[in-house]
Amino acid sequence: MLDIEDLQVLRDQQPLRYSLQVQRGEILAIQGRSGVGKTTLLDCIAGFASAHCGRLDWQGQSLLGLGAAQRPVSMLFQDHNLFEHLSIADNLSLGLSATLPKETLQSALDTLEVAELLARRPTELSGGQRQRIALIRTLLRPEPIVLLDEPFAELDPHSRQRATDWTRRTAKAAQKTLLMVTHQYEDVQQVADRAIMLLGIT
Amino acid sequence: MLAAGMLALGFSLAVTVLAFYGLIGFDSSGTESRLDTRLLSDGYFHSVVWFSIKQAGLSALLALVLAWPVARALYYSPGLWLRQSFLSLCVLSFVMPTLILITGLVALLGRQGLISPWLGQDWNLYGLPGILIAHVYLNLPFAIRVQLLQLQHIPDSSWKLAAQLKLGAWQRLRLIEWPALRAGMLQLFGFVFVLCFNSFAVVLALGGGPRATTLEVAIYQSLKYDFNIPEALTLAWTQLLIAGSLFLLLNRLGGNQWLGVDSTQQHWTPKPGAAMQRLHRLLYATAALALLLPLLALVPGVLQVNLARFDWLAIARPAFITLLIAAIAGTGALLLAYATLLPSRFARTEGRNTLALLCDWLSTHALVAPAMVVSVGLYILLLPRLDLDHWGMLFVVLLNMVLILPYAVQQLRPRLLQFDRQYERLVRSLKLGFQERLRIEWPYMRRACITSFALMLLLAMGDVAIFSIFGTSDWTTLPWLIYGYAGTYRMGEASVASLLLLLICALVVWLFQHFEKGQQDA
Repeated sequence: MLDIEDLQVLRDQQPLRYSLQVQRGEILAIQGRSGVGKTTLLDCIAGFASAHCGRLDWQGQSLLGLGAAQRPVSMLFQDHNLFEHLSIADNLSLGLSATLPKETLQSALDTLEVAELLARRPTELSGGQRQRIALIRTLLRPEPIVLLDEPFAELDPHSRQRATDWTRRTAKAAQKTLLMVTHQYEDVQQVADRAIMLLGIT
Repeated sequence: MLAAGMLALGFSLAVTVLAFYGLIGFDSSGTESRLDTRLLSDGYFHSVVWFSIKQAGLSALLALVLAWPVARALYYSPGLWLRQSFLSLCVLSFVMPTLILITGLVALLGRQGLISPWLGQDWNLYGLPGILIAHVYLNLPFAIRVQLLQLQHIPDSSWKLAAQLKLGAWQRLRLIEWPALRAGMLQLFGFVFVLCFNSFAVVLALGGGPRATTLEVAIYQSLKYDFNIPEALTLAWTQLLIAGSLFLLLNRLGGNQWLGVDSTQQHWTPKPGAAMQRLHRLLYATAALALLLPLLALVPGVLQVNLARFDWLAIARPAFITLLIAAIAGTGALLLAYATLLPSRFARTEGRNTLALLCDWLSTHALVAPAMVVSVGLYILLLPRLDLDHWGMLFVVLLNMVLILPYAVQQLRPRLLQFDRQYERLVRSLKLGFQERLRIEWPYMRRACITSFALMLLLAMGDVAIFSIFGTSDWTTLPWLIYGYAGTYRMGEASVASLLLLLICALVVWLFQHFEKGQQDA
């Protein structure tokens, strides 16, 4: 279980407080108006923002003392998820486990309709294509906690439908604990087990 | 990884510290060497400090002011004849070994100079005029390139809006052009000022006695002629304090971009009128002539020499040695620069900006540590401990590496910081190891590394100061050979050797510009 209790993060000298529990294998959607601290929460879980005080435990072990590279977390950022100077194939090879079956990756590429893009560079792709590539890598990494920051924002309705289906199926099959920031009600319905609304009370 | 960075930073710092320790610890008379504080109230000291500041200030001001109309001509008239070659000449003029320029200037404007008879009887190259001419020659091309790149950053939309609003020439200058230039003008002035303030070979060769001496040359003279260590130390600390404070200030302001590829792909800029176009061509031709004349002045000297009987081997070997030393020092400087930047990058990603600034300053501190002082200090320290006749060349390479390190750092830092800004979170999130990280960074950094290597090569090829202390006659370099020829009035041979060195430098500039163009086209 991911256990967050009275976790305080300072942003622009203002404290943001979080308390929530997410069960192992559960998919949680996080909503709230812009600037309320949704991304800051993901950043803090991933180790990119420091907690002022409070508790952040995974399976009974505190994550607060660990650096970003030591945490069992795979995160999809809002942007800069791919190295622009490397091909898509090279980008996909980073961070994936050597034991990941090739068929799993190929199936994901086919499902999200990006299998033809492997030889290209990110700059040659549309925003939606880049988003899907980054989503595949984030979900297929061996980390048990997955954090997605507006993962479907740039997708057209057709791609969005495929991506949301694939995300839920993959996360459930691998028992990932998934936290997803989204503004879209349809994403919550199609992917999440439950949703919370951040209210911005400090 | 961080430990390797700290080690590299420690190494570059240790060289400077050991050099000063060598000077402080030196004891020739049984008394401890200390700072000569009486010197601080001496008229000679005041005149040296004042002259150092005056010549650097005037040189920087002249270079910037003269560069401005030329940069405008290049910007507004992209179709100028041989424009690309002119920009390559600008790079060459800024980075070529100073001795080539000095030989050329003496051949052109010296006592028996080609155009000296037309300059009147009072003309004297030596003293402030010669120093200013040489410094402006070396820095004007740099200023032209920086200002041109700044002008090229003006978006087309600004010019279109100006046309829509029917702004006049003065309004365009005040509202669009000047704001684009103003942002980088202070950094540019400061950087050229520091370069001229630390200038050694130009002032040594063209300075005219005590009235035209800078701190760097005064340090050399107090060591070379008087062997007055306390005086040298006082001067060195003064130099370090003034140039160091300025450099710290410059570091806060940011760097100048100047080696970027020239872009003539502006879609919409105001078209100058016919009269203005003629003025642009005139300015451009004058600037090109001014840059070419000292180089062309080497040719008559070459023609004096019987090239059929010339001992080519006598300059071929030094040329090879020069290239070899420069290649090793350049490669070493690049690797060292990458490593010394690691602590500062780490501090930045942790949000510790003051620490990052301190690391930045430490990694580039050699720019303000006088080359002569570092060389002599280390020489004194090592002399009783090592056979320097045997190991001297190792220190020529090592010190060249450390002294060109700041330039390598300045070249690599913007690109690495850009990488970190864009990808550091992703790299950490993907949990990439050192080797994987290098594999990703290399394609991103390759272009900056090759450009930097070319620059390091050119800078290391020009060294005279370090070789004068640690060099041995068996391993004479080309600049040292030129210095030797010029010192024995063999101006013909000096011109041949200078021309060869110039050709090697031109080849390096051409190769890396060709590479840059290829990368841009790709």
